[in-house]
Amino acid sequence: MLRFILQKLGMAIPTLLLISVMVFALIRLIPGDPALLMLGDMADPQSLAEMRHTLGLDHSLVTQFLIWFKAVLSFDLGFSISTKQAVLPLILDRFSVSATIVLVAVLFATLIAVPIGLIAAWKQNTALDLGLVSVATLLLSIPSFWLGLLLLHAFGIQLGWLPVVGYVSFAQAPWQAISYMVLPVVTLTLVEVGAITRMARASTIEVLRLEYIAHARAKGLSERAVLWKHALPNAFAPTWTLVGLILGNLLGGIAVLETVFTLPGIGRLMVDAIFARDYPVLQGCLLLITFIYVLVNLCVDLLYPLFDPRVKL
Amino acid sequence: MNRLLNGTLCVTLALGAGLAQAQTTLRVGLNADIRSTEPGVNRDENTDTVMLHIVEGLVAHREDASVGPLLAREVQRSADGMTYTFKLRDGVHFQNGATLTAADVKWTWERYLDPKTQWRCLAEFDGRGGAKITGIDAPDPLTVVFHLDQPSGLFLASMARPDCGGSGILHRDSLAADGSWKAPIGTGPFSLDEWKPGQYVVLSRFKDYSPRDEAGPDGFTGKKTALVDAVRFMVIPDPSSAKAALMSNNIDLLPNVSASDAQELKTTPGVQISFSPIMAICGLLFQTNDPLLKDVRIRQAIAHSLDYGQMVNALSNGTSEPNNSAIPQTSPFYSATARQGYRYDPQEAQRLLSEAGYHGQPIKMIVNKRYSQMFDMGLLSQAMAVASGLNIQMETLEWGTQLERYQSGNYQMMAFSYSSRLDPATSFDSLMGDKSKEPRKVWDNPQAQAVLREAVRESDTARRQALFDQLHTMMIHDTPMVIIYNGTVAAALRDSVKGFHSWPVSSPRLWGVSLAAH
Repeated sequence: MLRFILQKLGMAIPTLLLISVMVFALIRLIPGDPALLMLGDMADPQSLAEMRHTLGLDHSLVTQFLIWFKAVLSFDLGFSISTKQAVLPLILDRFSVSATIVLVAVLFATLIAVPIGLIAAWKQNTALDLGLVSVATLLLSIPSFWLGLLLLHAFGIQLGWLPVVGYVSFAQAPWQAISYMVLPVVTLTLVEVGAITRMARASTIEVLRLEYIAHARAKGLSERAVLWKHALPNAFAPTWTLVGLILGNLLGGIAVLETVFTLPGIGRLMVDAIFARDYPVLQGCLLLITFIYVLVNLCVDLLYPLFDPRVKL
Repeated sequence: MNRLLNGTLCVTLALGAGLAQAQTTLRVGLNADIRSTEPGVNRDENTDTVMLHIVEGLVAHREDASVGPLLAREVQRSADGMTYTFKLRDGVHFQNGATLTAADVKWTWERYLDPKTQWRCLAEFDGRGGAKITGIDAPDPLTVVFHLDQPSGLFLASMARPDCGGSGILHRDSLAADGSWKAPIGTGPFSLDEWKPGQYVVLSRFKDYSPRDEAGPDGFTGKKTALVDAVRFMVIPDPSSAKAALMSNNIDLLPNVSASDAQELKTTPGVQISFSPIMAICGLLFQTNDPLLKDVRIRQAIAHSLDYGQMVNALSNGTSEPNNSAIPQTSPFYSATARQGYRYDPQEAQRLLSEAGYHGQPIKMIVNKRYSQMFDMGLLSQAMAVASGLNIQMETLEWGTQLERYQSGNYQMMAFSYSSRLDPATSFDSLMGDKSKEPRKVWDNPQAQAVLREAVRESDTARRQALFDQLHTMMIHDTPMVIIYNGTVAAALRDSVKGFHSWPVSSPRLWGVSLAAH
């Protein structure tokens, strides 16, 4: 087990190295100059040159990369071009906001979608199955920003039950924090329920066709026992992989929802950084996201044997 | 025991509610976070808006965009125009309780003039963009004297510029012991309470603020009394969410909403709209070095192909008027001459095109979708120009990329907006210059530049007016760009907000604004 973890983490090092070079190069391929964006339409050549010098953009690309990479090795991601804030605490602060929303939403989505998928598979080709699959497809097809705005309008404006803008962290005021989290979490849960339900249904249908299920039924086990004790453990493994992928993907930022609900998350930070060509922030965010992706996949791999004993690490 | 606890809790809650009611907080939406708390250094428009509530300069823009004294009681200009003497108002306090003196003004300005500060407006005062400050004296605690190397008609206007942080006078304690920036301590009606990056900025009413003697506020000067206990600027990047927040009473004021949102919010119960023309310059830039567009007749043909009334009506939902001049409509220098713009005349456009030998060669126009009014302006121009036989093709770029193309002069045509310049000399200066040295400049005409240099030096109003009129006439003839309109700012506010109104400088002012009980 320990060897497996070390092996996986070891494999992450070349991935992160490659990503850091790619991120650095690709960001600079985007046309646009951070110094110019800071000075705007009033930039005279001398002010522009001074600003580029201050931001260290007058060095060659290789020199800029080496300076940045040397600092990264000592966990120093530099300072934001726009706000002059240290990048590492900034992205960790923003990441905690996104992570809270995403973890809660994915947990809820999994708890809701897996039983629904199971029931839909069990009642395959019935009206109930059709209804559940239709709802799942509908949820999967609705753009998250639209659903978010719809919920904002209903619960924020019409009913006035929940705040429309702002964010309060759990550390500041736990109850207030929950009121600010409800709408983004519900939106994200609904969107993800669709995907997980379909995967849970498909994998359960596959499992229900296997001989050992027929055998279990032949033994005289109740349908409930067949479904929950025999079908679910095997059917959940592929769903768990999907949950891991969704988690890794969403932890990289839910920029659209963060913008709609004015959440100070990492996705919005990244979008702002792209518009401002804030290279250090963007590089830091992408490195963190890559690392999170690797970490989430590692966790999924480690937990896999729990759901599928055939898999040995 | 339980009853006692419950009773105590009820009393505490009631007291808390009473205190919360007594505390009035004006909640204002910002479309992006501020960049820093350092006025005029690491800044953008939102940063300027927040900082100009905390700091004040010697002079400031009035409601009509002219310049008037703020921390100064009076300003005297020497006969040769090279010495400015500022008499300070007595008894003005900084937000840390210290009294403002001439030494503070001298210290602040010497810091601004130090290149290490990276003050945005250094070029305006070190000789690069106009007169150079050769010395600052503080002969007594309430007198400051600035010495210039040449007369300048723009000296006070540059001092007052919002993007320069209004040249706000700071207390030394704004800096840490090592000289690094800590937090602004100014003399404004609000002080900085808390900045939570990405979320909000909170300002508190400065209780010992010393207002001027005028009857009421006048632009950035006049009597600036804070009528609410706190202002909370909330960062809401998405316009739909901002609108929802206003409609659900989660915020009180949105200082800048789009023309279409303004129309929608106008009919929302409990919400009102405050419109004001602004001083931005919105139009189409031409690359006059381009093989095709170097022919002035083609540029003039494009200018004649546009129905300005119809276009501006559509772009602003009927809230703006066309203006083909670099002198904004709200400027005191907007004269009868400046009103003489281009005539919508498709026949004339066709005649000019035929004379120039144009036969449908494509003209690429850059637009972006970050600023919808630029995109719409490009789209409408393209559609109107087709009727005169012009083949304009739109190229949509990301704003950062467009800005780079503007800076390098690498374009044929682009829909563009210049941010507000409050003096016509600075408006013309942003467009004019030697393209070989500054490719971003659109109008390269040495004769016109000589007229502009004279206008920058001149401080006599009548003489300046004549020079600006002359520049306008020359620009209409050369047509290096087609200025279409100046735009309108629309603020949306709850009915409970009293005393707020938009103004040509656009930046919202929250002194003199109160909140009625909800």
